[in-house]
Amino acid sequence: MAAQLNLSGPPNSDLSSLTDQSVSSRTSNRSLRVAEKERRKNEAEDPSVLALKYFSDVEAGTPVIGNDDVERNLVLVEKVAYRNGLSPEAISIMLEFAMSLRMGHSLCPRVLKCLIPVTVVPQEAVVRAVAWLGVDKIPVSTQVLFIKWVLTVFDMIDAKDQLRAIYGFIFSFVSEENLCPFICHLLYLLTTKQIVRVFRVRKLLELQSKLGRQPFLLNLLSLYKVFCPELVTLSIPSRSKSVFKNHNMPWKSALIAVQKRNGSQVASSISLASASKDRTNRRKRKHHHLELPVLSSVVNKEPQTETSRRLVPLVQIQSVAELLENMDHIELPAQMGSLLGSSLALQYLDCVQDESALLRLNFWLGYALHEELLFCGDGGASQNSEESLQFLDKLLSTQHFLQEGFSSSEAFLYKFLNVWDGSLLRPQILGLLSNIPVVPSSQIGRLLFEPLMQLFFTSSVFFKCGLIECLNNMLLKWLTWHSVYALEDDLDISLNSHTSINMTLSGFKDSVMELVDFVGRLASIGLQLEGCHCLLLSCILDFYTMVCDMFLKYGLPLVVMPPSGVFYPALFATDPVSVDRLAFIMYRYKVNLTSAKSQEKLTEQAFHISRQTFREFNYYTVYMVNCLWNSKMFQPGTGVQLGEELLLKSNVPQYWTSFDLVHHPAFMSYAVDFHQKCWIGKKDIDLDSIKHQKPWSWYLQYLFSQGYDGLKLFVQSNIKAGQGDGQQGDGQGDRQQGDSLPT
Amino acid sequence: MERHQNSVMRTPLNSVAVQRRSKNKSYRLSYRNRIGAASRLGLTPGLTARRLNTSRKAPKSNKITVTTEQLTLLVKTEWKLSYVTPLYRFRHTQLKIYSRQLSAFIAAEKQQGLAVDVEGTQNTFRVSFSLVLGMTESVDDAVTVHIQIHSKPLFAKQDEPQKPVWSGWLTCINGNPEYLRSLPKDFICLPLFCSSGAGGLTSLVKSWFQQSFDCCFGPLEISHTSLQWLMALWTNCQSESSIRQLKMIWTLPVEPQLQVTYTVDAEDAWELWSSVRKKNTAGEGEENSIDIEEVMSFMQGLKAHFFRHFRLDLSAGSLNEVSTALGSAKHSGMIKFSNSKYMITTLMLLTECALLKMPI
Repeated sequence: MAAQLNLSGPPNSDLSSLTDQSVSSRTSNRSLRVAEKERRKNEAEDPSVLALKYFSDVEAGTPVIGNDDVERNLVLVEKVAYRNGLSPEAISIMLEFAMSLRMGHSLCPRVLKCLIPVTVVPQEAVVRAVAWLGVDKIPVSTQVLFIKWVLTVFDMIDAKDQLRAIYGFIFSFVSEENLCPFICHLLYLLTTKQIVRVFRVRKLLELQSKLGRQPFLLNLLSLYKVFCPELVTLSIPSRSKSVFKNHNMPWKSALIAVQKRNGSQVASSISLASASKDRTNRRKRKHHHLELPVLSSVVNKEPQTETSRRLVPLVQIQSVAELLENMDHIELPAQMGSLLGSSLALQYLDCVQDESALLRLNFWLGYALHEELLFCGDGGASQNSEESLQFLDKLLSTQHFLQEGFSSSEAFLYKFLNVWDGSLLRPQILGLLSNIPVVPSSQIGRLLFEPLMQLFFTSSVFFKCGLIECLNNMLLKWLTWHSVYALEDDLDISLNSHTSINMTLSGFKDSVMELVDFVGRLASIGLQLEGCHCLLLSCILDFYTMVCDMFLKYGLPLVVMPPSGVFYPALFATDPVSVDRLAFIMYRYKVNLTSAKSQEKLTEQAFHISRQTFREFNYYTVYMVNCLWNSKMFQPGTGVQLGEELLLKSNVPQYWTSFDLVHHPAFMSYAVDFHQKCWIGKKDIDLDSIKHQKPWSWYLQYLFSQGYDGLKLFVQSNIKAGQGDGQQGDGQGDRQQGDSLPT
Repeated sequence: MERHQNSVMRTPLNSVAVQRRSKNKSYRLSYRNRIGAASRLGLTPGLTARRLNTSRKAPKSNKITVTTEQLTLLVKTEWKLSYVTPLYRFRHTQLKIYSRQLSAFIAAEKQQGLAVDVEGTQNTFRVSFSLVLGMTESVDDAVTVHIQIHSKPLFAKQDEPQKPVWSGWLTCINGNPEYLRSLPKDFICLPLFCSSGAGGLTSLVKSWFQQSFDCCFGPLEISHTSLQWLMALWTNCQSESSIRQLKMIWTLPVEPQLQVTYTVDAEDAWELWSSVRKKNTAGEGEENSIDIEEVMSFMQGLKAHFFRHFRLDLSAGSLNEVSTALGSAKHSGMIKFSNSKYMITTLMLLTECALLKMPI
């Protein structure tokens, strides 16, 4: 014991280094001579060490009154304590001195009050002190003070296993009326699942019937309920604040001061407030189906097995670290819907593989959606739209987090689309819709397309844009699934046998094909209906930007061309951006088709792209080049044909040039601008002069420099560099012909 | 009586009541499951009116094997109907424990902020769970569970016995076998919940079930079509057991709202019903089945008769209530069985309605 005396913090020395030194000298036997010498020196110099020695050695029964030694030594210890805090060993000595009542109980409170730990509190000391509690001599007020002290320094106690081992002993003090609140708090901090037993519950309930509704009893019982809901049940009124009072006032300021001075080595939380859940005040509602259930543990457990004894209720998990630690033995909550309420639980949900658990979640979710939006006979949805909105947003963010849709929300949507007016909670519903997993092609028409078609044609242009965007997102998710799972499941696209895998791939292709075709139909008619609304066109081009890259980007052996109802409006659009995007899309189609073709040659068995697709692609490319480049718009055999006399009647001079890069309404302003820059001061503008060899190439450079990269890529890939210059409107040869892909 | 299991399943293809993906893995189906299993989309038939069975067997005076004591608990009470999603880990063998838990739960909820011993028996509310054996139609049906809550009146004398203050039961009669079989073993499907008693207790019982078995309760209305079915099914019993009279209450959408109570004498109703019944092509001894067309022509006949007398077309209104000597049903979801003999048929219809409400 004496050897440890040097461990109290001398007033003016660096405490941390001293403590380190002390620890090392305690744990290792190789006490260097130097250290020994130093220690002796310290011992001799430091009066506080001598003071501690006094308290550890003092004989039982030494009188206090008139004893100057005690007074002097205690003052010394107090000085150290309030200034720098006491080392673990010092705490042990002083605690032992106080609780053993070696010099009676008059000094006890004073000693307890100065027990300010500098680092940790040794568990053994606390256990020994608790044992002294059993010796029925300490006055109640001192007992209370001691427990309060334990509560204050609880987080600084170096281990808790022995304290848990004497849980039963501590528990026995609950019947002491004055101690009860503090004992309950201490028990609360020590309780684990194994400790909760029927007889303890009984005892507490008995106390409750004696003392009435005491928050400390209720807190402890509610913790018991978390661990063993089959033993106790209670409902805590939402208004009551179920937090243990802070009993640590006597030490709090001193502890903070000491820690501040020491640079706060031990991050102890002063407030030992119990983990009572913040119950948000729920607004009163007529219907409760959108309320998330409260996270609580299961009442009717399956017969206990070895593993189930170790299960930790999810309610008890407070941090990601704890979650990871207990990952393989977490007990699912009583109501799966409660998982949506906490972000931590969502992390766990991502790992849940239990089919029944997910089904429970889906039942609850489907129920809530159905009751709120489908079964509300009296237009209830509009009344509660605020709640519905929040609920759906929550659901969306959950699905976003999990990167998957719930099957119950899918099932709900199939029904809801039939009765939806297209405006109620539109962003949310479209958001949910875009999360729908791949629908088999045999069902997709009835489940999705029929209701969506009706909505599309009867709604505003903004709904149309929203829907196209939503279907775009849906396709993106499908393709992403495919690219992820095709790898995972070892799907080989060249598998030729009639295995189920092959079937699934073709099934998937069919579904994607259906979806792309459907959007094509919607887009063609939508553009007509809305007069080629440029926002709608932009959404549609977004969609085809994804479609054209399905093979290269997502590894799906499928190429679908846009319908002419989309191609021509985009080509003849009045804004250059649309034309540019179309050019980019055509360029990507070309890259995809070329690579598919080469792969086909390479593996021989590769997927087959129909000749029709190549034909369509070539046709579009030829037309585009003719139109933009060769100024040959109305070639016989092309899609856009008008009678010769009709064109003459229109009195448009040189009508065949109307949509070349110079005269195209989208680029006309650039042409004019270019003309002005090229021929400064020239009054009359002759746009045809741009078509001469030199200015033409300059003009192209100028256009490309404006950011029309799509156009640039298209031109570069389809028109051979050498022949590109000097393009004339006289159509002296189709430059693109060499590039068109063989069908 | 002999069981005719397949008679009700004579369902036209387009009117499958409820289908669920047979392999409802999870919301996270693997790629293969998602795309491979075409069956997974059997799932949700659109919201068409014809989702109820369009044909059902004629009610016969079933000799149910339920004890008379239990039967008296079920008949002559008006029940409020709810649908319940499947119960997770409900065990018919643990009813005693459930009784204790529920009574403790009620006590705890009634005295907010007071913990209650689940094992204790000193509660003011005594709950008893019991099985109603013999009330099933097919092997897939889970056994009906009856719950009763007894309590002493607030200012009762010391030795006054506890009185029943609330009762309810969960049942499943001839539930769609495909649906029932598709559920994992952990789930017990008792989709129809009937309750009678104080609303406060009803909601406490519901929330206890929700917390204990992770299920959800929703109100179950009896649709227009179901009411018409009940009229026909009950009238069909006239030959065996008098229905005394067929009473309907209609509401017509006029200002101020007009309520029409239309009562038809039992004999007249029977005569009309017999006239619309198709000649039964089935041979002797085979089950007698009723088609939706017959029900519709029966209704048409009743409406036409009313129109002849009062120049009021009831088709414009809605049927709110039907009652006969066998029972009564309200659109708001109230049902009363006055004669236990024909209870099963009615419960089959209601089970079907409840299953239609299932979210998955």
